[in-house]
Amino acid sequence: MNLDWTIVWQHRWDLAQGAGLTVLLTVLTMLAAVPAGMVLALMRLSRSRILSTASLWFVEFFRNLPLILVVYWAFYVMPVFLHIEFSAFTTGLIALCLNVSAYNAETFRAGINSIRKGQMEAAIAVGMSRWQAMKQIIIPQAWRRVLPVLASTWVSLFKDTSLVSVIAVGELAHVALQIRSSSFRVLEMLTAMAVIYWLMGYPQAKLADWVHKRFEVKE
Amino acid sequence: MELDFSPLIDSWRYLLGGLGITLLLSVLTAAGSLVLGTVLGLGRVYGPAWLRVPIVFYIDTQRAIPVLVILVWFYFAVPILTGISFHPFWAALMALTLHIAAYVAEIVRAGIESIRPGQVRAALALGMSRTQIVRKVVLPQAMVRMLPSFGSVLSITIKDTAIAAVIAVPELMKRAETIAGQSYRPIEVFTTVMVIYFIILFPGSRLIDRLYQRVAHLGRS
Repeated sequence: MNLDWTIVWQHRWDLAQGAGLTVLLTVLTMLAAVPAGMVLALMRLSRSRILSTASLWFVEFFRNLPLILVVYWAFYVMPVFLHIEFSAFTTGLIALCLNVSAYNAETFRAGINSIRKGQMEAAIAVGMSRWQAMKQIIIPQAWRRVLPVLASTWVSLFKDTSLVSVIAVGELAHVALQIRSSSFRVLEMLTAMAVIYWLMGYPQAKLADWVHKRFEVKE
Repeated sequence: MELDFSPLIDSWRYLLGGLGITLLLSVLTAAGSLVLGTVLGLGRVYGPAWLRVPIVFYIDTQRAIPVLVILVWFYFAVPILTGISFHPFWAALMALTLHIAAYVAEIVRAGIESIRPGQVRAALALGMSRTQIVRKVVLPQAMVRMLPSFGSVLSITIKDTAIAAVIAVPELMKRAETIAGQSYRPIEVFTTVMVIYFIILFPGSRLIDRLYQRVAHLGRS
């Protein structure tokens, strides 16, 4: 077995660019999926039957599908329905957003529900509207419980961005797999890919643990 | 837009076979990771200090690396290193098991740590040995709390087996890709497969939500 690790160094800029795109995908998805999840959660908890059912089905649908399938579906089916051609990057981003929004919606809903009902009732009793009570009483408290779960979702999302490589978005996994097939340096490239993901993912996982500890709710 | 579902009707047996492989792979992976994960989780909580460090490192590593990367590495790189090559199915089974076991280990740990330390102290005060305490006081309560999470593991496993399509395991996702490619009917094929996955996964996740509500009060101490 002869190994040639220089291949990794030769392609360092391609790999760095791929890693950059992975981070960009993670950040953009989260930026879109936090407000989206919030809206979905509020829809779910609203008194309108239509809004709450719509949100329920959206969340259940995307929570119960393999993400890789959603990526393919967004790539092949969505442009036909919407009559718009998206770039691979946008398509991947949309697929990730659909998935993470659904998870975030559940996170926010659980967070809001974890605040005792008496607080909402008390707020209404002192003359606040439901919306005011939500904004000024419930949501500020729910954040503490939501944040650790969001941190875990962030770590999962960071890893899940690798799945958009199947529609040729040039993020880390795609770049590494491309170099592998053009250079035939299979072991070197795959190991380098795993190590780069590890270097990026390990601190994030540890940070998520820290957030869990920091915001732990003691009963 | 015209829809034509005939490629799906023509190859329904092929797809059904794929579904069978998806389910088989999921069940074997879930069973394997349950065993391995429990061992790792118990080792992390009760094992000697020298064992804990590598276990924690292993778990955090699996949490940091995407399952796609593990699958690809196992299928393409392990044969180069060891000279033994596996059928994609076995490579996927091993890679997924190693990955998901880390999650199971975390569930086991969280379940055990959720039992208040006062209970262990009380049992010690009664003169029980450590093994007795773990077997008779901690685990019976912790198991109840872990139960719903184990249900989620099965659902996560089914979803993750779809990623095994990348190393050409002939499961549902891979076969859908094949049919879509041959028939040029990706819209019909992927939409149908989406519905199939949803039908399998949805009742399970509802059941798990129910279970969470049902056992929530049992685990309270």
